[in-house]
Amino acid sequence: MIVGLHHYLVVSALLFSLGLFGVLARRNLLVIYMSLELMLNAANLALVAFSRYNANLKGQVMVFFIITVAAAEVAVGLALIVALYRRRGTAHVEDLNSLRL
Amino acid sequence: MNSSLLAIEFLVVVLGLGILLADLWIPSGARRGLAYAAATGLLLVLTLHGGALAPGDDTAFGGMFLVDALANYFKTLFIVATIAVLLISSGYADRLDGYGEYVALTLFALAGMLLAASANDFILMFVALELVTVTFYVLVSFQRRRQSSLEAGVKYLIFGALAAAFMVYGIALIFGSANTTNFYEIASRQAELGKSPVFVIGLLLTLVGLGFKISAFPFQMWTPDVYQGAPVPTTAFLATGSKAAGFVLLLRLAYSVVPEVMARWSHLLLGFAMATMLYGSFAALAQRSVKRLMGYSSIANAGYLLLGIGATNVTGSTAILYFLSGYVFTTLAAFAVISRVTVQDDNDDISVFAGLGNRSPLLAAAMTLALVSLAGIPPLAGFFGKFYLFKAALLQVPTSPLFLVAVLIACVSVVLSLYYYFNIIRVMYWPAQDAVDRPVTVPMAVGISLAACLAGILVVGIFPSGVIGLAHEAVAGLGTPAPEMHVQAHHAAAH
Repeated sequence: MIVGLHHYLVVSALLFSLGLFGVLARRNLLVIYMSLELMLNAANLALVAFSRYNANLKGQVMVFFIITVAAAEVAVGLALIVALYRRRGTAHVEDLNSLRL
Repeated sequence: MNSSLLAIEFLVVVLGLGILLADLWIPSGARRGLAYAAATGLLLVLTLHGGALAPGDDTAFGGMFLVDALANYFKTLFIVATIAVLLISSGYADRLDGYGEYVALTLFALAGMLLAASANDFILMFVALELVTVTFYVLVSFQRRRQSSLEAGVKYLIFGALAAAFMVYGIALIFGSANTTNFYEIASRQAELGKSPVFVIGLLLTLVGLGFKISAFPFQMWTPDVYQGAPVPTTAFLATGSKAAGFVLLLRLAYSVVPEVMARWSHLLLGFAMATMLYGSFAALAQRSVKRLMGYSSIANAGYLLLGIGATNVTGSTAILYFLSGYVFTTLAAFAVISRVTVQDDNDDISVFAGLGNRSPLLAAAMTLALVSLAGIPPLAGFFGKFYLFKAALLQVPTSPLFLVAVLIACVSVVLSLYYYFNIIRVMYWPAQDAVDRPVTVPMAVGISLAACLAGILVVGIFPSGVIGLAHEAVAGLGTPAPEMHVQAHHAAAH
């Protein structure tokens, strides 16, 4: 079997959907962050595949930017989880309920 | 390449780093001085920026960074909003641990907004928006001893990262179908690209990311919680700077990059506009928390602005710029008052406003003026802004009757908004029996900021022609074909 652009794109779409499902269905903040990372990496895979098959390196450069931004986001996110865990002793979204009508 | 075009962004980042350094040596009691220093620095940047307004369009970094009239207009707006936010936050400094970092982060968020206004490439657009968003995660959760602030930060982070993921995936699809991410190159091939389903899906996913920033329905879920939980100065900055950053990009995409595709989607945009206005107005009716109410009001206002995007005519784009200018002054004035009234016991229930008319007549009058402008009563800024937006939509009625429906729904939303804005005014002037009888102090810096914002409301509202003229000049260059010379140079470099 010859692996073509379509195969990469299907895998990337699957990863994206899996990540989205994780964000919507899981209740632990850490798992939600992992799912969000999965979604960003799905986009990275699509960019690298397009870059390879269109012979245009710009896509690869974009991946570097996305990895950097994702790292910054995770750094802030984990700091928030730690702060929240110290206050509440929990990292579940059901317990984020102090903001209501 | 012309790196001097980035002088403003560069200065703002250097100012932020300088504040971070100075924070190390300044005793904790004198940290307010950092905010004054930053505001003064920004005033200097603003005068420098005003002096550089004259030259025409120019690009830097291989066409990624564009300085044109639209970018300059929004940059002025961002800097003015940041100065006001810094002054408001100086009165809130006691509630923000590590205040020096708060000032520095505010400046970094401003740098992101300035870059977003100049973005001429999907890569820069993404990085600039993320610079704003990631900074805001920290600004929202800055009161880390208060649980609601932390919760708001976590919620903002989850929704923000989700929107970023959608946007990045959209950009990947756009890159795959167009083989470029440059706005000019995409604009010159939009007729051909508009037929590619991959490109269209990519564009839709990118719009999801922008819809999150401007809190348009159905991507508005985060807005009420985050507005309520965040410290008041952050909420003010979210409602003005962050929202305007979303709109400058939306405006550029809709009017200059892919206007033909957007014109096909005018019904979709109108649908979002109508849902956003109705959701914001209906949900605001039952609110007790003033910050949460401002969150729903901000959603409703995003709906009015979307009318202007959907109209895709010059009146619409001019109206968006005009409305945003008035909206920034009005919202900042309202938040300046909210910050003073709620600061004492960190409670933002509507009852803390009870009897404000007696306790502090000037603050009550300022709040009344801001709310009346938000509600859209002539002759204040809010009225003319809505008037021009509705006019832009009505001009499109011959092409589709849906525009008429949208304007009617917008009128319903305005009438509903009268109820909840006037409810606050009623509480201020008709006090309940058990009202706290405590005067509200206003530090000088907050007073200056409030007075400037009130002056802004009056000037923008009473002399609309001046701002309309500026806004018209700013959007005049949108939709004209990209400079041919530049695109060719870029192609030559690619081969």
